[in-house]
Amino acid sequence: MYKLTRLVTLSDPASVSALADEIHALATAHSAYRQLVAPTLAGSHFGGDLLAHFAFDDAAKRADFDAALAPLLAAPAVASVDGVAYRSEECGKSGPELANGIYRVLLLSVDEGTDPALVERFEAETRMMPYYIAAIRGWQLSRADEAIGARRWTHVWEQEYADAGGLMGPYMMHPYHWARIDRWFDPECPDRIVDARLCHSFCGFEGRVI
Amino acid sequence: MATDGTAAAPMVHAIDEIVAKPGEGKALLGDYLARYAPGARARGMTLEQILVSPPMWLDDQSNTLVFRWSLAGAEAWWQMRFVGGNDPDVAAWWADADARAVSRRRFFASDPADIERLCDV
Repeated sequence: MYKLTRLVTLSDPASVSALADEIHALATAHSAYRQLVAPTLAGSHFGGDLLAHFAFDDAAKRADFDAALAPLLAAPAVASVDGVAYRSEECGKSGPELANGIYRVLLLSVDEGTDPALVERFEAETRMMPYYIAAIRGWQLSRADEAIGARRWTHVWEQEYADAGGLMGPYMMHPYHWARIDRWFDPECPDRIVDARLCHSFCGFEGRVI
Repeated sequence: MATDGTAAAPMVHAIDEIVAKPGEGKALLGDYLARYAPGARARGMTLEQILVSPPMWLDDQSNTLVFRWSLAGAEAWWQMRFVGGNDPDVAAWWADADARAVSRRRFFASDPADIERLCDV
C-alpha cells in the first residue's frame, strides 16, 4: 500500500469539521483504499487539529490525490501541515481485530548522516515494542519517501489501541519504552539519533487503518 | 508493602558512566556536580552514589566516573525527561562534557525485585 498522512493545524479550529468533510469527499473520489480523517484528541503534541491518513493501491493514485489535496491544505484556514508519503512496511496485529479504537501516529526525524546500522537497530528495537507492550494492538513502522512540515520526517510509527488509556498508560509507562527505546530520542543520552521535534498525533477510528 | 494498591511506585535509577579524557577526571567530576547536579535535583532526581575508578586521580590515563540517581517511578522519570530534554542548558552541558570524555553511557535500571511491578502497567 502507498500511504499519505497529513497533520493539519488550523488557524480557526472551528473549521475542522468542514475541512474534514471536504478531504473525506476528495479521498473517496480518488478511490482511497482506506481513509481516516478525524479531529485529533487532547494530548497530541505538534499533531495538528486534524489527522488525515490515506492508503492507495499504487503510487500514481496517491500522487494524484496528493496533488488534488494540496490546494485544500493551502487555504487560509490552514496554519500549517506536517506530513509524509510512504510505502507500507512490515506491520503486525495482536488480539482480535479492533472495530474501533485509537489510532496514533508519530512522525520523527533521524539525524542526517546517522550510521545506517544504527538506524536499523533503532527500527528493530521499535518494532519489538508490541512484543513487550500488549496494549499495542496494531502497528507499522515505515520509512518516509516524502516529507513536508517542520522537519524532514524520516519515519512513521503507527499504532492502534483499544482506547486512549492504552496509549497513555502501558505504552508510555512500560520500561521497554522509557528505559530502552527512549534513549534514541533523549537529548541527554549519547545514543540519541532522533530530532527532539516530533509530531505525536492520535484520534479515534472505526474500521481498519493499519 | 501495602497490598491495597497505594504502595509507592518502584524506585528507578538513571546511571551516568563517563570515561573522562586522560587527566580530566577530577575536573569533570567537579563540573558535573556544579553544573549538572543542581538542575537534575530540581527535575526530581536524587543523587544516590558517585564512584570513581580507579580510586585515584590519573594524569595520563582515563578515570571512569559513575553517578547513580534515583527517581520515584516511571511518572517521575517522564517528568525528568520532558523537562531535561527541552532545556538548552542541559544540552549545552552534555555537549561540553562529551568533548571532555572518551565515552559516555546513560542507562536506566531498577532493583530486580521491582521488575514485575514496573512491567505491570
